[in-house]
Amino acid sequence: MDNKPVKISVFFCRCGGNISDKVDAAFIEQELKRLPDTIHFKVVDFLCGEEEKNMMEKELAEVRPDRVVVVACSPRDHEETFRRVLVKAGINPYLMQMVNIREHVSWVTVDKDRAVRKAAIYIKTAIRRVKLHKPLEKKTIDIIPEVLVIGAGVAGIKAALSLAQAGRKVTVVEKGPVIGGLPVRYEDVFPDMECGPCMLEPMMGEFLHGDHAHNIELLLLSEVSEVKGFFGNFQVKIRKNARFIDPHVCIGCGECVNPCPVSVPNDYNFGRDQRKAIYFPFAGGLPNAPVIDWNSCQRSKGTDCSICKTACPMPEAVNYEETPSVIEKNFGAVILAIGASLYDVSRFPNLGYGTVPDVVNSLEFERLLASNGPTQGKLEMSNGEIPKHVSIIHCVGSLDKNHAEYCSGICCQCAFKYNSLIAHKAPGTKVDHFLREVAIAGKSDYALYQQAHQRGETRFFRYNAIDDLKVIREGGSSFILSQTDCGKAEKIRTDMVVLCPALIPSPDTEKLSAVFEIPRDKFGFFEELHPRVDSGKTKIRGIFMAGTCQSPMDIQKTMNQGVASSGYILSELVEGRKIEVEPINAQVNSDKCSGCKCCILVCPYKAISFDEANEVAEINPVLCQGCGTCVPNCPSGSIIGNHFTNEEILEEIEGMLS
Amino acid sequence: MNSQESETDQELLKAKQTGFEPKIVGFLCNWCSYAGADKAGLAQLSYPPNVRVVKIMCTGRMDPQFVLHAFDKGADGVIILGCHPGDCHYKEQNYRAVQRHRILLRILREFGISEERCLFDFVSAAEGEKYARVIGNIIEKIRALGPLNRAKLASKDQVLE
Repeated sequence: MDNKPVKISVFFCRCGGNISDKVDAAFIEQELKRLPDTIHFKVVDFLCGEEEKNMMEKELAEVRPDRVVVVACSPRDHEETFRRVLVKAGINPYLMQMVNIREHVSWVTVDKDRAVRKAAIYIKTAIRRVKLHKPLEKKTIDIIPEVLVIGAGVAGIKAALSLAQAGRKVTVVEKGPVIGGLPVRYEDVFPDMECGPCMLEPMMGEFLHGDHAHNIELLLLSEVSEVKGFFGNFQVKIRKNARFIDPHVCIGCGECVNPCPVSVPNDYNFGRDQRKAIYFPFAGGLPNAPVIDWNSCQRSKGTDCSICKTACPMPEAVNYEETPSVIEKNFGAVILAIGASLYDVSRFPNLGYGTVPDVVNSLEFERLLASNGPTQGKLEMSNGEIPKHVSIIHCVGSLDKNHAEYCSGICCQCAFKYNSLIAHKAPGTKVDHFLREVAIAGKSDYALYQQAHQRGETRFFRYNAIDDLKVIREGGSSFILSQTDCGKAEKIRTDMVVLCPALIPSPDTEKLSAVFEIPRDKFGFFEELHPRVDSGKTKIRGIFMAGTCQSPMDIQKTMNQGVASSGYILSELVEGRKIEVEPINAQVNSDKCSGCKCCILVCPYKAISFDEANEVAEINPVLCQGCGTCVPNCPSGSIIGNHFTNEEILEEIEGMLS
Repeated sequence: MNSQESETDQELLKAKQTGFEPKIVGFLCNWCSYAGADKAGLAQLSYPPNVRVVKIMCTGRMDPQFVLHAFDKGADGVIILGCHPGDCHYKEQNYRAVQRHRILLRILREFGISEERCLFDFVSAAEGEKYARVIGNIIEKIRALGPLNRAKLASKDQVLE
């Protein structure tokens, strides 16, 4: 349709005087009579009322206008309301233009005469614009209801369970040989010192063998290597490495482990003890089946050792012939739950990690405290003695603009938990906390801090910058030199130093951000669609996230995010329902496209790809969010911003200036 | 610019005598600034009616030709309002808008249009008060500058040279 006269229904909402006190409807009606178009002018008191909407629908069905203009409040309030009325009346909802007379004219203009003149310009402009509107259709796309969860830590397990309970098929891809993430390796968790494995095992049991476990496929020692497609239909390639043990056959008796002739340092316990080439990462790790570390196994060096296979009571459990495989599957949505890492404390040479004995990071200390750890839970130094003085240094790397600028939020709690555990395991051992700030927000999180305060053996030292602390070795003993505010260095005796490092993005965050083409924030965590409103969504539609890959967080929040991410999926990716594609998006006119790829660079949603065969850009309507940035960026003017076309906007500008 | 539609000096003089009411086009992004303008309305703050609002989904949609068209068709000023840096609904498209605005100012200079006639600012969805203030300020500024004298502007051909 061009600018030829047409039949237009104009609904003027008085908004109970909020509009009509300033803008006289009769004056507007007179003004519109001068237009060449046939105007059906209707004044209503409250157009958003149920009765009035029914009236509007009836009127539209009778008049059958070519276009509709609604003179009322902000389109941010009621554009969708009136679009639905148009749909009910059998008119394409995009053939309507709303004029915001209430917020932008009547409420803000003092002078009545100027208000009515501004309103008339706005309404006449809307009429000019709406005549150029094109009917747009909401397209629908079939979906695949299956979901991919990456990471079988607490967030991934919780998400997968929530989906499986709702009857959804889920594939969980875990890089390691066991599930449960980091917390499953902790003896106790804050704030109430619950045993970590005791807390998690029922949930993990349900995940592996529960009533809904048939909906969950777990792929261990696996990684996602390639992704194509978009929300509703992602095509994913998963590389599955060999375990050499079939966990479905293995009964977890461990007969195979002891006879193995190879011993190597156990990296699950930071090398503090030894493990065999066939091993359980730690006692109680699930699924309860060992794994062969092929690089250590003698068979990788060409020998024909088969001691573990011979020791195994189950004939088919050990399989040396297993090779890595690539699994290709399609999913409608993805949840990233890959967890986080700890900041590398060896970047602080002054803290003695790796140079002074018994300086450990928090994860290593957790393993020392765990009954399935290298010391069976006894608090011991590397020489086997019980430490008399333990120093805990908070904020190692956190709140430090040269390292991790943010507060990791969980380390203070961990540190006070250590205080409590030390009191328990080695009564009489003195604990010194070196802290910069204390972060213990929440209704139950103060308790451990208070407990530490009340213990006679605890001292608190406040430091300004991490450089003010120095861990030294002198005459066979360790000391912490702490620079005080008045410039004097205090020398404090210590036997063991626990460094509480910042929580940082796992190295896999970078890898997966490249595979999925999802942006990361300035710290390297996956970036949220909105940091508060939608912190469980990435910037790419259909890719959700849960847990510490989004931000440092505690177990409670991680669990909640696991459920939240599955909630998004259950409400947005509904089996049997199609995905609606918003038609206010961008579209390439491939006849005009020169194939310069300028548009691809500016799209924040990776919605534009290049069709190599035809050498033109292509916009995926599911991924496009309709910002329109690519439209002016196209040198050949071949991108159309639907509902915000150049013609429509230029006409609007001209109307506003007439 | 089309010289046939340009105003004559006489017309400008007349405008000055009768009290000049500038015509300004405001381009507002849907998510922050348009919502900020709505907030000004909800708070019933008053400001003069000289700015006529054109809503776009994002300032990233701002095509320099919209501004040139506005000046061509009678605008004395243009104001573009978007989300604050870091707040863009579409991630970072307001940064692109800022970049394009800078280039646009150079083009406007070529035409002989003062930079002051084309303002870019940030108004959040909460800043109704700021919206009213920014609108008031640009109206005053353009009023002080006077009407845009289209007769004195360079032609498109001159600029292209």
